[in-house]
Amino acid sequence: MASTRLSRSSGWLAAAAVALFPSAVLAQKAPCIGNSVATTGPAAFGGAAIKMGAEIAIEEINAKGGVLGQKLKLIQYDDAGAPPRGVDNTRRVALADKCVAILGGYHSTVTVAQAEPVNAIGIPFIGVLAANTKAIENGKSPNFMFRVSAKDKWVARFLVEKAVAQSKTGKIAFFYENTGWGNGALPDVQAAMKAAGKELVATETFNWNDQDMTPQAIRARDAGADVVLFWALDREGNQILRSMDKVGFKPTIIGAWGIAGNLGELAGPLANGVQVVQTYTFMGEMDPKKKALWDKISAKYGLKDPQEIKMSSGVGNAYDAIYIIAQAIEKAGAFDWGKVREALYQVKLEGLVANYDPAFDASDPERQDAILPQYYKVTAWQDGKLLPIEQTPYGKSN
Amino acid sequence: MTTILQYTLSGLAIGGVYALVALGFHIMWSTAKAVNFAHGDTLMIGAVLAVMGVDAGMPVWLACSLAILAGAVFGVALERVAVRPFTAQANSIGWMLSTIAIGIMAESLATMQFGGFSRPLPSPGVDRPINVFGAGVYPQELLIPAVAIVLTLGLGLMQKRTLVGRAMRAVAHDKRAAALMGINVNRIVALSFGLSALLGAGAGVLVAPVIQASATMGVLLGLKGFAVAIIGGITSAPGVLVAGLAFGVLEKFVEGYISTAAREIVAFGVMIAVLLVFPQGLFGKRETVKV
Amino acid sequence: MSRSHLLGFLAFAALLVAVPLTAENEYELRLFMLFLIYGLIAVGLNVLVGLTGLVSLGQAGLFALGSYTGAILAVRLGADLVTASIGAAVVAALFGVALAYPTVRVRGVYLAVVTIAFGIIVENVAIEWTALTGGTTGLSGIPTPSVFGYELTGYGFYGVLAATLLLATLAAHNLTDSRYGRAMLAVSQSEIAARSLGVNATAMRILAFVAAAVTAGVAGVFYSFLNQYISPDIFTFSDSVRFLLMVILGGAATTFGPVLGAFVLTYLPEYLQDFQLWQKFAYGALLLAVMFVLPRGVMGTLGLGLKRLRPAARGLDPAEVAAAGAGLPAASRATTAELVTQGLTVRFGGLTALSHANVRVKGGEVHALIGPNGAGKSTFVNAISGVYRPSEGAFGIDGEDLTGKSQHEIARLGLARTFQNTELFGELTVLENVLVGGQSRLRYGLVDALLRTPRRRREERELRAAAVGLLAFVGLTDHANEAARYLPFGLQRRLEIARALAARPRLLLLDEPAAGLTSQEIDELAAMIRKIAASGVSVLLIEHHVDLIMAVADTVTVLDYGQVIASDRPGVVQNDPRVIEAYFGSPVAHGELSEASA
Repeated sequence: MASTRLSRSSGWLAAAAVALFPSAVLAQKAPCIGNSVATTGPAAFGGAAIKMGAEIAIEEINAKGGVLGQKLKLIQYDDAGAPPRGVDNTRRVALADKCVAILGGYHSTVTVAQAEPVNAIGIPFIGVLAANTKAIENGKSPNFMFRVSAKDKWVARFLVEKAVAQSKTGKIAFFYENTGWGNGALPDVQAAMKAAGKELVATETFNWNDQDMTPQAIRARDAGADVVLFWALDREGNQILRSMDKVGFKPTIIGAWGIAGNLGELAGPLANGVQVVQTYTFMGEMDPKKKALWDKISAKYGLKDPQEIKMSSGVGNAYDAIYIIAQAIEKAGAFDWGKVREALYQVKLEGLVANYDPAFDASDPERQDAILPQYYKVTAWQDGKLLPIEQTPYGKSN
Repeated sequence: MTTILQYTLSGLAIGGVYALVALGFHIMWSTAKAVNFAHGDTLMIGAVLAVMGVDAGMPVWLACSLAILAGAVFGVALERVAVRPFTAQANSIGWMLSTIAIGIMAESLATMQFGGFSRPLPSPGVDRPINVFGAGVYPQELLIPAVAIVLTLGLGLMQKRTLVGRAMRAVAHDKRAAALMGINVNRIVALSFGLSALLGAGAGVLVAPVIQASATMGVLLGLKGFAVAIIGGITSAPGVLVAGLAFGVLEKFVEGYISTAAREIVAFGVMIAVLLVFPQGLFGKRETVKV
Repeated sequence: MSRSHLLGFLAFAALLVAVPLTAENEYELRLFMLFLIYGLIAVGLNVLVGLTGLVSLGQAGLFALGSYTGAILAVRLGADLVTASIGAAVVAALFGVALAYPTVRVRGVYLAVVTIAFGIIVENVAIEWTALTGGTTGLSGIPTPSVFGYELTGYGFYGVLAATLLLATLAAHNLTDSRYGRAMLAVSQSEIAARSLGVNATAMRILAFVAAAVTAGVAGVFYSFLNQYISPDIFTFSDSVRFLLMVILGGAATTFGPVLGAFVLTYLPEYLQDFQLWQKFAYGALLLAVMFVLPRGVMGTLGLGLKRLRPAARGLDPAEVAAAGAGLPAASRATTAELVTQGLTVRFGGLTALSHANVRVKGGEVHALIGPNGAGKSTFVNAISGVYRPSEGAFGIDGEDLTGKSQHEIARLGLARTFQNTELFGELTVLENVLVGGQSRLRYGLVDALLRTPRRRREERELRAAAVGLLAFVGLTDHANEAARYLPFGLQRRLEIARALAARPRLLLLDEPAAGLTSQEIDELAAMIRKIAASGVSVLLIEHHVDLIMAVADTVTVLDYGQVIASDRPGVVQNDPRVIEAYFGSPVAHGELSEASA
């Protein structure tokens, strides 16, 4: 027994050493990809979108013979939007299931929490929705956190650019939710404004489930803002729109993608013209590639209208992420965390959302993100539908 | 000035919801000396079922009526299943946890049937805001506190004038004596849970056009409603009404002048402070101990 | 410690050693470590819920306080595990005291709501105080734990967690069957009786809250170091519910119940994930099922079943009774106590229940206090035992002023009482009731209790012998191990007397001890009272039974409308016209008095 204990504890020490020098691991992992997303709770639609994209991509890859001769498997866990569960799921995927990589979900707070164990264990993590800048740009080297999604830092620049272009008075306000996502975006937006040579005239925050934002709306109105940037989810976005309506404040609204769900239904005509940045959408006219994917989804999940997918960016991002991982495994030649991480920097792919050339860049810490701002798309709400802006009346005026 | 008026009007609207929820707690507590910790979910059930009714093609008035009725049935059933078996116990852990359990189940079922999203309930009351001396408010928001006031008065009348109301007061005063007088205590308690659930679900239907219906909307409203009931004095209906409206206005001012996270800190801090100074709440009756 | 508990602890320790040896991977071990942390919270919460019967639905708030304190100390000041734990324990303890304060005024549901509010406030302060807590983004980069400069990796940290939980469980077990645990149980079952026996109920509740707070706080530090990241949404209301459920599911007031409950609820989510969308529903259903099927929890139900299968002897071992010897302890003072009240007045609003009452109970006498209903007898009793505060006047024993002192202080100064409607600790055994009576004479402290020192064992042994002696005196040795609430009424009255005597009072206050007794029982009671007085204890007897008063009283004081209208030897009082008028409204012959009031 003493010897078992000794070998066990030395194994443990080795594991600790591994945590410090992850590249030392050469163990063969299982041909599975973990998917820790919220499939229950208020943001379950985000998890559902990711699951669709990932499952379709894996089906396609397996139909062509899999990766390194093995079929890929998706192992699904629910984080319910709770960071501790996300952390537990991460360790479960890495240490119990021994999957080769893990996908991350909708909530930024969960992804930020996952960064610690991911880098301690050294398993490649690909975030496909949560946009918090610091979760991926965390200063660790080597960094195992990657993302195939929008990044708040870039989204902020992108949106501020649009806002400055559309503002007549040059006065821009910022409304953000008091969560890891909203608070993480605050410095990004401030920095982007500074870069544009401006300052926010009002910086307003609110909590989830807040029912009335008239105080915030009054302050922004009195500050004279004519464009407002939103980092909000649909429910609170709707409350802000209604509160603005009550106090007679009608600015141009441009938002990050938290209001890409059902804002149109909630706010009715008030939502018309609200602009939202996305990476992928099934709405509006579809090209043949998109049409083919949509047909698969509608057949597999029994959907009739693209509107039923609430967070279409999740589908596109997850689909691309799986292909990127598959190609990295091929290039690495093994189901091995360290080698796959190295290989991720070599992946080149013509994806749904973007042309990845390469997907990531090892020499630039900002390029742990695969989707460059040039691939961001502006969509706008129009009578309950979120359409590419050029297909709405609002796109023509700009 | 306009700002102050704006905060007050918005505060009265949300305060009206707190008052309606708290009134339900008052009714339950009076007869059963126990409450439904999932009372917030009664509100959610009212709102969510109304939206689902509209989805199914019912006219709005029918969907709302059915939803309120369903809420009342939920209240009666919950009393029978999760409260009555535990009221005989010395401590309150039993019914607290069992009603919390039912709340978790109700919320989970609602999430599955309704989805995680918030959904609007159509109402002519939120089509366009009206302007009151420069402050904007939806007619629906003015309706909520008005309904709360009318219902409080109505409840008072019912308790004084009707046989059932008098029986409820008798049970509240002394269960055993009421039973000796031939009052069916169990039926009165069930009735009071039904009545309070009726108010709760009604509050849900009233507030859904303003704050939208969702599976998770009930939890915080329920807790706050309970806090309000305790601040006002759970034994006093008018006390609960006043505390509810005041609590809503206080929240808006904290939100407006400090921040939204400070709102919960101040609101619940006030509740603890009130309890320390007035253990029976501001308007509650003191229950004396006899040796 | 009983043999079954010893076996339990050995098995638990063996399990804690075996798990890391058999864990298949780091994830499994980590999950087990999470269980150890939750177990610590549950064990502490059990002291509060199981012993004092108070419900906290704000335990996540204390857990959060500990987590943040530990994390901030570690990240900002580079504190090691020990320093961080001490810091967190202190902060949590302070908040535990603050949370216990409201219990002075509010209980039950009100208290539950206060704790819920506390949890929500802590959560929102963590969100709002961004500079310190990192706000909603949380605190990350918490270093790996180290102790005195040695970095703890893997098994080292596991060892710390396992040892802490084992020791905490042991400490809680020791606390439960020490004077503190008994006092807490007594307070939860009848606060007024506990106070009358010198138990400081407020102090007991504060102690229980602090125990629950410190364990939650330390668990929080462990959690921070294990997770290396914390954010406000780890500490929500539903977590508080889960912690409470751990205690209830495992079995409140049992030694291993909370640990078992924590185990089940740590591993449950792993299995519930298979239910997909139904997992929350399944959790709610489980909670409901526990309340119905296992209201005493797993261990509580098991214990009950075991008791039914192998019932313990109802009475005591005759050898033990013989060794203890039946009888009263000799009076603690050479001179016996004298109670004097001067102008004692109690008003309730406009009503004067007791008006300028001057009563003198001489040392060693049996003094009867009588009067028609509403004359102020109960008010007098409650005033001198500290339940009511006199509006005017003063009272004291042997010249020592007791006015304004609290109930338990008065009890400790030598006044013990029984109650008109018996106030026994129903769930405790007959013997335990008497042990609580002797509570205030024990001198061993909290450390002795937790460590089970020789001093504690000696004092407990002596107390038990004295209690057995008293049980023999009142004739209850055959019922010693029964729960007090199952005793027939007459025996309950005797038990109250034995319990009061265990405090070794100088003045014993009997509040209508003959009510509801048969005439034979009253004769036995009279003999008992005479023996008590003979042992040197003054007795103040509040009674209606004139026969009993005539048989035992040396002096009789009569109250009417809150005023003393007579005080003299029984024979004299019996013929006092004012007394007769008080009872009948008009003068009558003295013979009728005894018949009418008997």
